[in-house]
Amino acid sequence: MASMAAAVPFWRAAGMTYITYSNICASLVRGCLKEPYRSEAAAREKVHFAVSKWANGKPEKSSIRSDSHAE
Amino acid sequence: MAMAALRREGRRLLLSPVSYNSPVAARSAILSDELGPMGARSVSTQAVRNRMKSVKNIQKITKAMKMVAASKLRAVQVRTENSRGIWQPFTALLGDNPSVDVKKNVIVAITSDKGLCGGINSTSVKVSKALYKLTSGPEKETKYVVLGEKGKVQLVRDSKNSIEMNITELQKNPLNYTQVSVLADDILKNMEYDALRIIYNKFQSVVSFLPTVSTILSPETVEKESEAGGKLGSLDFYEIEGGDTKAEVLQNLAEFQFSCVLFNAVLENACSELGARMSAMDSSSRNAGEMLDRLTLTYNRTRQASITTELIEIISGASALTG
Repeated sequence: MASMAAAVPFWRAAGMTYITYSNICASLVRGCLKEPYRSEAAAREKVHFAVSKWANGKPEKSSIRSDSHAE
Repeated sequence: MAMAALRREGRRLLLSPVSYNSPVAARSAILSDELGPMGARSVSTQAVRNRMKSVKNIQKITKAMKMVAASKLRAVQVRTENSRGIWQPFTALLGDNPSVDVKKNVIVAITSDKGLCGGINSTSVKVSKALYKLTSGPEKETKYVVLGEKGKVQLVRDSKNSIEMNITELQKNPLNYTQVSVLADDILKNMEYDALRIIYNKFQSVVSFLPTVSTILSPETVEKESEAGGKLGSLDFYEIEGGDTKAEVLQNLAEFQFSCVLFNAVLENACSELGARMSAMDSSSRNAGEMLDRLTLTYNRTRQASITTELIEIISGASALTG
């Protein structure tokens, strides 16, 4: 293609990992579906978990990642 | 006083194996305690009856939990077996290097949030601790990322300074790849690693779960190991299309591999958790049934003994009057 010998693809330059990139692409594909399949696919996209980082053996406050798509 | 003594007697009867030589002695002991200060007699049967009722309720609850776990297991098992194909290409390409020796290790231990599932969480934690010992040494650093409440509770006791992250409430929605990949992304962004080791219980069958370790190397480590030859060394034979360099491709592959392997590991662990819960609840119902049998025997013996005593008293009273 007419790209220069790009050392880094655009999404990595923007700070995304491959996982984030593929998740965005996947949700775009899911958005192209028609109605009955669309809601079924939307159910497969739900994200919910609670993360807490630890520092010096003590947990800091946990934050809940609860969005329907990773961003 | 009498109640307490009777409870002790009852417990001793229940705990000892059923032996039909001692009931006579036990019965007289119950009888002597049974006649309280007022000569009241119904105390013992009431206590045993209450205990029988509560044991029966527990049996019903554990049976129900087993049914629930069995039905959930059927659905998750299908998904787990289908997800096994997602990491196989990676192992075919990159091989499996559990014995790789690197400076920074991150141990991802997968456990459950809910309890009553037998011993799987303890085995996972045991394997994690063993792996920690194995990978620690001078200039080496090992950290934990714990998925699930139960693992956190066990690890916090002696390794709380090595825990880096803790993730809970993972099973609030049914498990899907998007969720696990977001989680994998979070872990990758927050941890520095040369090798990631995921510990989970692999689901062999409803009664057998195998603690397993999956190793994922960072791209730099892959480079280093490829010099040693083997599967990684033959990566250079592949032609890379597109504008990416080999380092680029390896980076993408490493991230994707982690996400896929983590997805499979989470599913397998969920399956094992349900299977372990099924067998734990099953043995619990069986134990409750046995306990109920023993209690029924005690109850009947006590009841018959009190009836016999009453009869004896009446008859002796009557004979005293006539004779």
